[in-house]
Amino acid sequence: MKNFWYLFAAYSTVWIALWVYTIRLSRKNKELQEELHDLQARVERVSTK
Amino acid sequence: MFLDRNHMFHAIAMYISMTTAIFLIFAYAPTDKMQGIVQKIFYFHVSSAITMFFAFFVVFVASIMYLWKSSDWWDAVALSAAEIGVVFCTLVLITGPIWGRPIWGTWWSWDPTLTLTLVLWLIYVAYLMLRIDAHDPKRARFAAILGVVGFVDVPLIRWSVEKWRTLHPKPVLIQEGGTTGIESSAMLLTFVVCLGAFLLLFFYLLWERTSIAQSRHSLEVLRQEIDDLLTR
Amino acid sequence: MSGSKLFIRQVLALLVKDLKTEWRTREIFTSMFVFAVLVIVVFNFAIGADPELIRQVVSGVVWVALLFATVLGLQRAGQMESEEDSLEGVLLALHDRSALFVAKMIAQMLYLVLVVVCSLPLCGIWFRIDFTACIGALGVVFVLGMLGLSIVGTLFSMIVLHTRAREVMLPMLFLPVSVPLTIAAVYATDQLIVGKSLRDITDYLTLIGIFDIVFLTLALMVFDYIVED
Repeated sequence: MKNFWYLFAAYSTVWIALWVYTIRLSRKNKELQEELHDLQARVERVSTK
Repeated sequence: MFLDRNHMFHAIAMYISMTTAIFLIFAYAPTDKMQGIVQKIFYFHVSSAITMFFAFFVVFVASIMYLWKSSDWWDAVALSAAEIGVVFCTLVLITGPIWGRPIWGTWWSWDPTLTLTLVLWLIYVAYLMLRIDAHDPKRARFAAILGVVGFVDVPLIRWSVEKWRTLHPKPVLIQEGGTTGIESSAMLLTFVVCLGAFLLLFFYLLWERTSIAQSRHSLEVLRQEIDDLLTR
Repeated sequence: MSGSKLFIRQVLALLVKDLKTEWRTREIFTSMFVFAVLVIVVFNFAIGADPELIRQVVSGVVWVALLFATVLGLQRAGQMESEEDSLEGVLLALHDRSALFVAKMIAQMLYLVLVVVCSLPLCGIWFRIDFTACIGALGVVFVLGMLGLSIVGTLFSMIVLHTRAREVMLPMLFLPVSVPLTIAAVYATDQLIVGKSLRDITDYLTLIGIFDIVFLTLALMVFDYIVED
């Protein structure tokens, strides 16, 4: 099991980086979609008044 | 948490494929005799590299389509693929040396593929920097040109770096990284599954990021509309 | 056929205009030349006094100096262009807008050729290298190489004209994309200095040639997208 730490370092870097990035994108996407719907609803309300 | 069912199925497929890949890598694939356990970095390293190339290819195609059709969707795809490509590119550049250190005895050996990856990193980071200033229609076009130019340059860079490499001392220990021979069908299967998992991830990320780019654009348009309504 | 004659005439007209402007102040050429010389001298100090080491490194130093000189020259030219703001008027008058690209590229190349002609003798003296033995072959390499640098450089300088961090973006785009050219040109030059002939470096010349053709084609195809509104 020599060089184990190298293996560990490589895999954890990739794993953590990809997880962080994926979750960030998901959250940002959801956030933007909500903001978009929100804003669209408000525009609807204002223009139908 | 998921926006729709396709999305959910995709995520589930990703989860299954990743888990399978990890299982295969650590419990099924035979350990390389010469390199030992470190060789297993190969699966993630090469999968990242292939995904990166594929991402930049998507940038290339999307850039051409954008120049041709001027559709914002293609521009969003190009930008997203470039960003994701840079992420995978960075991972290749990190796992490469981590693999190299125990194998070659040195962190970096100007291996042709790794060097090509480094130059690509520079080019596509420049692409992202070019796009940082707001969503000005011309900016997108310039980036699209870079997206085409960068990818066309790849074979030229590859060829020149390989010729250049013949001048450099070869690494001390064993064979070079990149495409260490796949010795058995078990390794091949593991690699294919791993690559598949990475590509599924790529498409998921591409979907999300493109969605973000489009939402941002829609928000901008909407805010402009609101401004117009208010100033009437 | 008259289309291409018109094209050539317009290219020449633009080229002459740019060259005349440059002739009045000689700003671009002087800054390029001085900077190239500076790079060469500083490298000399950075590398130390070992003549063998210097000989090994001289072709790299020359091409690095040329790369930086290209970036500098393009930035000055771009700066002058945006100060005058004459681009739109020129574009309207052109039948085929890529004539502007060709003219600028040729101008840039002429400046580079001049810089090389002036700095190579200096290198020969300072580094005690006899360039005259291979001057013809060197000429071929330099012309092909600088053609490539001018093509890529001019293309990116026009893209970068409208960005905010212009000084940073031009080298960031130009240098990585030119890597194949840099590698091939440096190696070819080095081989020639050591005494090889043109026949020995054909694969490098091929690479440079392909680079030039590919990027010239790309640039011409894509130029309209850059300048159109």
